[in-house]
Amino acid sequence: MSSSIIYVRTYLTRILLIIGCIATLTSWYFVSPHADIVANELYNWNVNIGTFSLFVGVVTLFSRYLKDISSRKEQWEYKFLGVVLIPIWVIMGQTAGVFSDLYQKAYFNTKITLHVAILGQLMFFMISGAYRTYRIRNFRTLLFASCTLIIVVCNASWLMTPFPIADKISYWLLNNPSMAGYRAMMITGAIGAVVMGIRILLGLERGALRATEAR
Amino acid sequence: MISATDSLVGQIVKKGLGFQLTLLIIMVILTYIAYYLGKRGRVWEIRPLEGLEAIYEGIGRCAEMGRPVMVIPGISGLGSAETLAGLSVLGEVTKRSTEIGVPTLATASSTETIMVIEAMTRNAYTAAGKPELYEPGKYVRWFGSDQFSYAVGAAGYILAEKPGMLIQVGYFIAEIPAVAEAGARVGAIQVGGTLSSMDLIAMFADYIFIGEEIFAAAAAITQDRIQIATLAGQDWIRLLTIGILVVGMTLMATGSKVIVDLLGM
Repeated sequence: MSSSIIYVRTYLTRILLIIGCIATLTSWYFVSPHADIVANELYNWNVNIGTFSLFVGVVTLFSRYLKDISSRKEQWEYKFLGVVLIPIWVIMGQTAGVFSDLYQKAYFNTKITLHVAILGQLMFFMISGAYRTYRIRNFRTLLFASCTLIIVVCNASWLMTPFPIADKISYWLLNNPSMAGYRAMMITGAIGAVVMGIRILLGLERGALRATEAR
Repeated sequence: MISATDSLVGQIVKKGLGFQLTLLIIMVILTYIAYYLGKRGRVWEIRPLEGLEAIYEGIGRCAEMGRPVMVIPGISGLGSAETLAGLSVLGEVTKRSTEIGVPTLATASSTETIMVIEAMTRNAYTAAGKPELYEPGKYVRWFGSDQFSYAVGAAGYILAEKPGMLIQVGYFIAEIPAVAEAGARVGAIQVGGTLSSMDLIAMFADYIFIGEEIFAAAAAITQDRIQIATLAGQDWIRLLTIGILVVGMTLMATGSKVIVDLLGM
């Protein structure tokens, strides 16, 4: 009985996937109000599922954090902060409204400040990564590091004065090899995505559909 | 007669999408031919993908070191093709590592992706005959839907669990340095692939899937003959695209705008 339910669930998911795919493609390419209605309906389902999953996420986070706090697990203090702050934000959003001055002020003074702090840290991570990437080990890495150096020079105005030609070389690098490579990746990437979609519809590649399979 | 047909097509197909639709139909046909030939027994050899070899080796390395594998399928939801490719890789890695007793950890930003990963992990443990080892929330963590709350959470998760291999295949943007740097600090082998921020992935990962290789990897990782056959169809489409580009460039050089008109029909 249980396995039959799983098979039914798997096939229902696949049928829904095919309906969604056909409706979306039809509404994209053809003048069809009916396909538009189906595509919009499925899109709304998707939004609803997304919202519901966010709710499940918060509930799961709470239950796990509460367990960790009660057993005084490692870093329980931070989890305690999370457990206290999440309801405060929810209450504030529900009572004052998310577009109120209070909420917006609190939002900008906490989240945006933290974002800026993280963005500041990213610069140091980038430097550390750049150190490993641009070490010259062979001809290829020499070429790579040289091109990068030219772009760096072009972005530092105080270096542009002694090397004015860097500007032209930099633009040439960005507009020719870099742009061509980027477009090649985008075109082949789009082809790859379409073929993967066909594989999913043919039932070859299961990807996310593995979630619906046998328990 | 031609104008009557044109106006009929114009009433059915949206303006400017005729060429796109024709190309899509050709793509479907070519992929299906490759799939059909694969089913009939035709075997295609594909060039080894560096990142894929690293994944196979990495799982073994993790088993030897007694450390987990971590897979991150990006920060996007299930509507992104890159996320789906990442989930395909995650599914296969989870299956292989679970069989040899290596835990696979995962995190993502989107809640719908998290739910799918959780279900995939549970299924992998059941399929490996070890359902008792599965515990909700043990292998899959969520740190919030925001890009940077995910990044900071994932970085902390990496530092705490010290995975032997970190696989980032999916949709990523500016948060890559925070996560990948944590991976570098714990000495994890890093495999990455994305379309959106290839430069950052290339900067931090030891092995990369370049561009469409993430979609090819999603098919090739299963080592399934028929899935690999569809990659041949993908190559035919690529040749067709190159053909259109070359013809278009030649015609433009001669002053003809036929190809431009064709693309915008």
